[in-house]
Amino acid sequence: MAIHVLGIRHHGPGSARHVKEYLEKIKPDIVLVEGPPEADNILEWVGHEHLNPPVAILAYQPDSPHKAVFYPFAEFSPEWQAILYARRNKIPVKFMDLPTVHKFELKNEPPSHSATVKEEPPVINSMSLPFTPEARAVKRNPLACLAAAAGFHDEEAWWEHMFEYRQDQQQVFEAIIEGIHALRTELDLPYDREEQLREAHMRKIIRQAEKEMYTEIAVVCGAWHAPALAHMPKAKDDNDLLKGLSKVKIATTWVPWTYNRLSFDSGYGAGINSPGWYEHNWRYPTDDGTRWMSRVARLFREQQKDISVAHVLEAVRLSTALTALRELPRPGLEELNEATLSVLCNGEDIMMQLINNELIVSDKIGAVPSDIPRPPLQTDIEKQQKRLRLPQTADYKDYVLDLRKETDLDRSILLHRMELLDIKWGQRYGVTGKGTFKEQWRLQWDPELSIDIIEKGSLGNTVEEAANRYVKQEALTATSLKAVCTLLESAIPAELGTAIDVLVRQINNLAAATGDVMQLMTVIPGLVQTSRYGNVRRTDAGMIEGIITGMITRICISLPSACVAVAEDAATELLELVYNMNDAILILQDTSLTEEWQDTLFRIAGTDSTSPVIGGYATRLLTDHRRISGDELVRAFSFAMSSSSPPATAAAWLEGFLKGSGTLLLVDNDLWAVVYNWMQQLSEDTFKQLLPLLRRTFSSFSKAERRKLGEKAKNGTTGANGINAISDTDFDSIRAQKGIPVVMQMLGIKQI
Amino acid sequence: MSNILRQHAEQLFAQELEELKKNDTDKRPYSWELSPQAVVTYLVGGKLKNGFEVQPKYIGNRRLMEIAVATLTTDRALLLYGLPGTAKSWVSEHLAAAISGDSTLIVQGTAGTGEEAIRYGWNYARLLAEGPSENALVETPVMRAMKTGKLARIEELTRIGADVQDTLITILSEKTLPVPELNTEVMAEKGFNVIATANNRDKGVNDLSSALKRRFNTVILPVPDSMEEEIDIVKRRVESYEKVMDLPAEKPALEEIRRIVTIFRELRNGVTTDGKTKIKTPSGTLSTAEAISVVNNGLAMAAYFGDGQLKADDLAAGIIGAVLKDPVQDKIVWQEYLETVVKPREDWKDIYRACRDL
Repeated sequence: MAIHVLGIRHHGPGSARHVKEYLEKIKPDIVLVEGPPEADNILEWVGHEHLNPPVAILAYQPDSPHKAVFYPFAEFSPEWQAILYARRNKIPVKFMDLPTVHKFELKNEPPSHSATVKEEPPVINSMSLPFTPEARAVKRNPLACLAAAAGFHDEEAWWEHMFEYRQDQQQVFEAIIEGIHALRTELDLPYDREEQLREAHMRKIIRQAEKEMYTEIAVVCGAWHAPALAHMPKAKDDNDLLKGLSKVKIATTWVPWTYNRLSFDSGYGAGINSPGWYEHNWRYPTDDGTRWMSRVARLFREQQKDISVAHVLEAVRLSTALTALRELPRPGLEELNEATLSVLCNGEDIMMQLINNELIVSDKIGAVPSDIPRPPLQTDIEKQQKRLRLPQTADYKDYVLDLRKETDLDRSILLHRMELLDIKWGQRYGVTGKGTFKEQWRLQWDPELSIDIIEKGSLGNTVEEAANRYVKQEALTATSLKAVCTLLESAIPAELGTAIDVLVRQINNLAAATGDVMQLMTVIPGLVQTSRYGNVRRTDAGMIEGIITGMITRICISLPSACVAVAEDAATELLELVYNMNDAILILQDTSLTEEWQDTLFRIAGTDSTSPVIGGYATRLLTDHRRISGDELVRAFSFAMSSSSPPATAAAWLEGFLKGSGTLLLVDNDLWAVVYNWMQQLSEDTFKQLLPLLRRTFSSFSKAERRKLGEKAKNGTTGANGINAISDTDFDSIRAQKGIPVVMQMLGIKQI
Repeated sequence: MSNILRQHAEQLFAQELEELKKNDTDKRPYSWELSPQAVVTYLVGGKLKNGFEVQPKYIGNRRLMEIAVATLTTDRALLLYGLPGTAKSWVSEHLAAAISGDSTLIVQGTAGTGEEAIRYGWNYARLLAEGPSENALVETPVMRAMKTGKLARIEELTRIGADVQDTLITILSEKTLPVPELNTEVMAEKGFNVIATANNRDKGVNDLSSALKRRFNTVILPVPDSMEEEIDIVKRRVESYEKVMDLPAEKPALEEIRRIVTIFRELRNGVTTDGKTKIKTPSGTLSTAEAISVVNNGLAMAAYFGDGQLKADDLAAGIIGAVLKDPVQDKIVWQEYLETVVKPREDWKDIYRACRDL
């Protein structure tokens, strides 16, 4: 009878190889692996032909799904290989770490002893549970001490060359236990309750296995724990330690994982720098760099960079020479990268980014069998993804949807529903080109979305049901009209029938109750957009139009009085609203509404006490609507600008009147004549007084407009020669954007 | 020997090379004076087993030197690439000195460098008198390096015309130099290789053909990473200059060097060291090498015209000379820098005054 403790590094390809060989040699009758015991029952899936790593065990508390932990595995994870061995040889395999539920509890415990509990990323990570800064340094990198003793600057490099690239596994595990044991006894590390508990639990499971009469027990755990498991203290101490831990139900399932999520950059504590390189190392342990370099060359050729076989040959030779120079047994990733840089990239490191993304980290995503039990909402999402051919990918993919097509419309509906549920799978982009029938989405699957899905699972079993209920809940608790209108705007493209009804009712109620005309005006443009959108979507836009009509009537009634006696900054705000409102009315093209609106403008312009900016603007709009012209306009203008009104008021009126109309002034000779004549009859003193205010108005025009205006002013009233509206601010950024991917590709940078 | 203005690296550091050789236990490639590991130690400095201290020649990333040395152990040629004044020639000289014990086999590339400067030329008097013969042949440094299995150095490779550059292809790939006139060839001995340098700032240079590029491993030498690194470089080089020149001036205060380096770095990077103020950059490169010569110049000024102590006045002329490469553009840049950055600095008053007076 024997207990074999195999200390490993999580996701170390060499460790994985050693574990596999060692297990094949000793032929254990049970395998114990560091991991959550709650997941024992889903271990039977390992070895299933559709469970392809990288995958992760997701452990969560069903009643509060945001309490969740992922335990990722790659093909080259030693744990994965150990489990796989057990499944293939049909021997029992069990997880032995402290149950996840207790870990959740420990996080919530008040700080005890001298320790302060630190937020840990949700991962298994036996190497890093730091407390004090010094201990943190040692524990985050316990190997740094050993590496320094061996004369390496970098413990990663030391570990890789000592264990990961090593071909024979003779006495590797004995050496690890011995080394870590020395570290743990020599270094003065503070008491760490979680670690104590975890190790106690691991020992408990080992003892249990012994009791169950297993004779050859293989224990696979993080190197740091190895000595604690190899030297067993009394059983009673451990049982005392573990006493009193509560029991809460934890659910577990398999979810697909990505290499990107395995890397350090993603914030994964036990992460590795180079999952793609490790996989290569796992598959081709004897590769001397040739195969790797060929892959690099292939990648470069795909990017239209000419790389010959001779290049590959020279790069391999340089990496070998570098390895020899550094007195290492085998070329590591660093040597290969340096050779690539020097031989293939002519020293320019811009292409190295590409290698890093594609090969060193790589965008591999795992897969899990469709018959694994999972939350119903997730099943529904996956079913729809399959039906609509929107696969989950680790790298982003762009879709342009034509809403006139059946499938694309359905896709858009699904994406809008997911967006409403705050499951961040897709991101919407502005579409180039005209028309409302197109949408552009960028989709990228993040494994952590599965937590969101579980969380939203309480709302319903299908996406439609969950989104409907979510919107209804939000609508009934919302108090601001704007919030509800925003919801409506997103609910319509998501085609949430029952929720829309609730929203419309809620909007009607709120609109009736609100006395704030500005709030009503804020939501009108959005609603008008939505009603226009509704036509493309074949949803019943009628009811929205009903709301809009009601709201516009309300606005028209109360707007004139709202424009009276307002402070200057409030007037500017209101001006903007009137501007948008006018746009909305123009879009609607409803004769009776337009008339109603024009009458309102008349009332605003005609009231003496109206804020001058708005009064001026209202007059302009009436001119645009062709309701005032000719003499009437001249009269209105002269009246507002007459010398009896204070200069500041007159200037404000002019500002409103000319808002955003530099070009109009150029081409509309009537308008020009009015302004020009008025200006001419100003006395010098008044002109001087007005000048700063006039400047404010004219400075809002574009540079080209101002120049043209100046030229026109030189010619007086009649000169209307060669007026073309030229705008130097009219830069077509959408067209410019199209070029960016090409430039990025030329530079070898992937667009993130 | 002490009246030589500038000695070759292998003479100046003869003792270091000797010590390295004594302590060298690693395997040497054929015809190398030192093992690759010892060459790296020679370049980046270190302590030998017997306690002998080797001065660092290249201050910066050790890995770059490892790549350079490893390249020379394969049969690929080495191309050192970078801005002017990033120690390309310096590294190439020391590599040749450490590996072959001879840094003199050098071809200076110019727009006028012809094939006969790289392959071989003829002694025409002899050629006319005796007809084509070995004796009438004029060897080039490259040919000599091939015959003796040493390193040949080509400076400013990209300045040489493209057609002449390509004569290197046969030499680098076939390792042989045919002499059709004599119906013979010179075959390279083991140990022969080429170190070329080129800078990537100059306009109007001849880019290497891809065929030639393929025969080189490229190492880009960067400008120094950190302020401290740059100060260290300037200090060491200035000290060695004093030794050679027997300058009576006192050792430059570290403070002065720091200021020079700060000015150069700030102008080069276009931002002040605290990262708060943006600065226009002048047209020159303002490399570390130029900083070194400014300090040297200042030392000489102090020794012969001043009181022997390096002061701001002694440096001002040098700084302005280094910055103002374009009399119109750079002048504006410099004035702006002087008024907005130098002037407000409390302890920089002397340098401000000195520069403004000029």
